[in-house]
Amino acid sequence: MELGPIFRAVMHQKGRFWLVALEVAITLAIVVNCVNLALDLRGKYDRPTGLAEEELITVQVEPYTEELADEDYRDVVRERDLEALRALPGVEAATAISAIPLSGGGSATGRRARGTEDEPSTTPYFVVSSGAVETLGVELVAGRDFTAAELAMRTEDFEGETTPAVVSRAYAEKVFGRPDPIGMVMESSEADSSEYVVGVVDRMPNSWPDYEEAAELSVLMSGRPGDHRRAYYMVRAEPGALDAVFPMLDEAVLGVEPRRIVEVRTLLDQKRETFAANLALVKILSAIIALLVFVTGLGVVGLTSFSVTQRRRQIGTRRALGATQGAILRYFLVENWLVIGLGLALGVGLTYGLNYALAEAAAAPKLGWELLAGGAVVLWAAGLAAALWPALRAARVAPVVATRTV
Amino acid sequence: MLAYQLRIAANSLRRTPVLSALLVAGIALGVAVATTFVTTFHVMASDPIPGKSRQLFYVQVDNWTPDRPWDRDRPEEPPDQLSWREVQNLLASDLPARQAASFKANLTVHPESREERPFRALTRVTRPDFFEMFEVPFLYGGPWDAAAEAARSPVVVLGEATNRRLFGGDDSVGRTVRIEDRPFTVLGVVAPWAPRPKFYDVTNGALQDPEELYVPLSLTPEMEIRSAGNTSNWKPWDGEEFADFLESESVWLQMWVELPTAQARQEYEDFLAAYVHEQQQVGRLTRPVNNRLRDVREWMTVSEVVPPEAKTMLIIGLLFLLVCSINLIGILLGKFLGRAPEVGVRRALGASRGSVFAQHLVECEVVALLGGAVGLALSTVTLRVLNRLFTEGAERELFTLDLTMLGAGVALALAAGIVAGAYPAWRICRVAPATYLKQQ
Repeated sequence: MELGPIFRAVMHQKGRFWLVALEVAITLAIVVNCVNLALDLRGKYDRPTGLAEEELITVQVEPYTEELADEDYRDVVRERDLEALRALPGVEAATAISAIPLSGGGSATGRRARGTEDEPSTTPYFVVSSGAVETLGVELVAGRDFTAAELAMRTEDFEGETTPAVVSRAYAEKVFGRPDPIGMVMESSEADSSEYVVGVVDRMPNSWPDYEEAAELSVLMSGRPGDHRRAYYMVRAEPGALDAVFPMLDEAVLGVEPRRIVEVRTLLDQKRETFAANLALVKILSAIIALLVFVTGLGVVGLTSFSVTQRRRQIGTRRALGATQGAILRYFLVENWLVIGLGLALGVGLTYGLNYALAEAAAAPKLGWELLAGGAVVLWAAGLAAALWPALRAARVAPVVATRTV
Repeated sequence: MLAYQLRIAANSLRRTPVLSALLVAGIALGVAVATTFVTTFHVMASDPIPGKSRQLFYVQVDNWTPDRPWDRDRPEEPPDQLSWREVQNLLASDLPARQAASFKANLTVHPESREERPFRALTRVTRPDFFEMFEVPFLYGGPWDAAAEAARSPVVVLGEATNRRLFGGDDSVGRTVRIEDRPFTVLGVVAPWAPRPKFYDVTNGALQDPEELYVPLSLTPEMEIRSAGNTSNWKPWDGEEFADFLESESVWLQMWVELPTAQARQEYEDFLAAYVHEQQQVGRLTRPVNNRLRDVREWMTVSEVVPPEAKTMLIIGLLFLLVCSINLIGILLGKFLGRAPEVGVRRALGASRGSVFAQHLVECEVVALLGGAVGLALSTVTLRVLNRLFTEGAERELFTLDLTMLGAGVALALAAGIVAGAYPAWRICRVAPATYLKQQ
C-alpha cells in the first residue's frame, strides 16, 4: 500500500484536511449525543408499563349537579355506570379509578413498612373499585386480587383499620425489601393510615411516567374512587374491539346520569399527550441527525472533488506511468479514510466533552461507549460513500491529461 | 469603498451561480436550525413582563412541618405556594401598591343554548388587582372592583376564546353566564393574551395558556372551589368540610405583590417577618423564619422555568451552525484559490493584502446575509412545526420570531460568514503575485 506517500500528500495540504477532520469530529460529537438523548427520551415512552395499553379506554366524568355531591348517590351511580359499561358488546372489563395511570395527574402519599423507622417512601396510589386488576391487565405474581368482601366494604367501615392493597413489584422491593410481602403492612409515618398487602403485580405504572427511578412505584387501594368534581373509569375492550367500543362509552354513561360532562380517550392518546414534549424532541433530534450527516457528507464530497480537480495532471501522470484505475480509486479512498479516521479520533474526545457539558448544563444522560463506537462506524462508512463519487471521477482521468498543459 | 466591494462580490457570486446557491443554502440551513433553538430558548427564558419584572414579587412563607423541609433536595426552600390562611392574613396588609392571590380551578359553564352541552373551563380565581398588575389587555369592559370582591359578587371576566364560544365574539358586557350553580354577570372580555412563560403561575408548566375565565377569589369558600393545580400538605386536615380544608396548612395559592420602590420592598419584608413572628406566638409556622420575596426573574430561575432540554437544543443548534460554516470553508477555499491568478494581477497592480482580505470577507458576508434571510424564512416554518409537535397538533403559538430573534438570526448569519470566510480570505490575500503573473 502507498500509505506513506498518501500520508505525506495529506500533510502537504494540511489546512484542507484538518477542516474535514474537524468537521467530522464535531459531527460525531453532535450525532452521538443527539442519538443518546433521543434513545433516552424514546426509552421512557417505550418502557413496558405492564398495562394492556392497546385495549384500554379512559372515561372521565365531571358531574355538575348538586345531587352528585352526595356520596351515597355517587356510589349508586358508580355501580350503575360500571354495569352499563360492562354490558356493552366488546367490553371485556371495566373499573372505576381515582386517576388515570400515565396521565401526569394523580395522588401520592408516604408509606414505610410497619415496624421500621425508614424514611417514608413516595407512594403513588390509585383508589379502585372492583375489576381493576382484570381491566388494567396487570399480571399478579404473588398473592391475590381484592376479594368481593374487601371491595364491598365502605370507607367508613375501614375507619382507623388497615385496608387491603395490591402493590407493584418495584414498590414491594423498595418498601419491604422483598418481592412477595403478602400480609405485611405499610403505614404513614404518623401511623394513622395503613394497608396490608394482598397481592403483588409484575409491573404497574403510576401517573408520572417521566419520574425516572420511581415510575414503577405504584399501589392499588380498594375504596370509593371519584369525588363530587370528577370520576374516572377505565374500560378494557376485547382484542381488536377498541374502535367499536370507543364511540359507545359516552352514551352508556350519560344514559345512567345525564348531568355530567364526559370525555372519552384511549389510554394510548393519553400517554402520547403526557409524552408529547419527549416525542417531539425525538423527532427534532432525528431530523437534526439526518441533516447533519447530509451536510457533512456534502462537505466531504466537495473537498474530495476539489482535491481531485486540483490533481488532475498529477493523476494523469500516474496513469501514464502505469497506475491502474483501481490504484487511483484506492488512493483517494485511502486518503479519505485517513482524514476521516483522524476526525473520528478527535471526535471521541469532543463527544465526551460535549456529553459532559450537556450533562452539566442540562442533566443529559451519560454516554455509553457502544453508542460512540456505533456512531464512528456509521460516520466512517458515510464518509467513504461520500468520497466514492469523486474518487471514481479521479479514476476515470485519462493518462493523456498528463501531456496537456491546462 | 464598501459599494465597490459589494459590486465585485455580486459579480463574483453571479459568475458561479451553482456554487453561490450552495453557499447560501449552507448558511440558510445552519441559521434556520440555530435560530429555531435560540428562539425556543429565548421564549422560555425571556422576561414575560419587561416593564415591571423588578417590581412584582412572589410571596413565600414556610408553613411546613418542623420534621422536614418542603423539598428534601433543596432544604433551604420554603413551599412554592401559600395556604388559604396565609393569603387571607397577608391580603389584609395595605403596603403593596397592588396585590393578587390566585389559583387555577375547573368550573362548569352552562351555555344559554340548550343544544350545546355544559363544558369545563379552566378558571383563574383571583382578585381585581390581578389585571392591572399583570397588564392584562381588555377587549370589552374591565375587571371587577374591590367592592365587588368584598361583596363576593358573582361577576366574571371572560377570555376572548370563551367569549367567542358563548357569545359569538360580541361585546358581552352585562350579559349573564351560568357557572356551576349560579348566574354570573360578565364585566369584561380579555383580549388575546398569552404571557410566555406563564409567569404568574408556573406550577403546571410555564408554556400553558392563560385561563379561560376569571372570577373573584372571595367566592371560593361558598362555591367550594378547589384548585385544579397542585395542592400539597404535610398532614391531613381535621374535619371533612370545605371550611376545614381552608383552615388547613395545605398550600395551593400563588400570591404576588407589587412593590414599586426598594423602600416599599423593605417595608413589606419587615411586615412578613413580623407576621410570621405573630403566627409563631399562636403556635403556627413552627419552622425557622424563611420568607421569600422574589421578583419575576428570580422566581422564574428558582422554579426552573427553562427546561434542561431547551439548553441542550440551544447548544446543539449552535454547533450545527458551526458545522455548516466549517463545511463552507472548504468550498470557499476552492472558489477563492481558483481565482488566485486574478488576485495575483490585482496584487501586482497595487491592491494591498488588507484590501484583498476585506474584499473576500465582504463577499462571504453577502453570502451570509442572503443565507440568513433564507434561513430566517425557513425558521418560521420549523417553528410552526415545533408548535404543532409540542401542542399535539393544536398549533398554539408557543414559539414565534420576534424582533430580537430576527436580530439574533442576522447576527448568527454574520458570525457564520466570518467563521466560514476568514481562513479562505486570509489564504487568498497571501498569494504571491509573481507566481501567477508568470503563468498568465
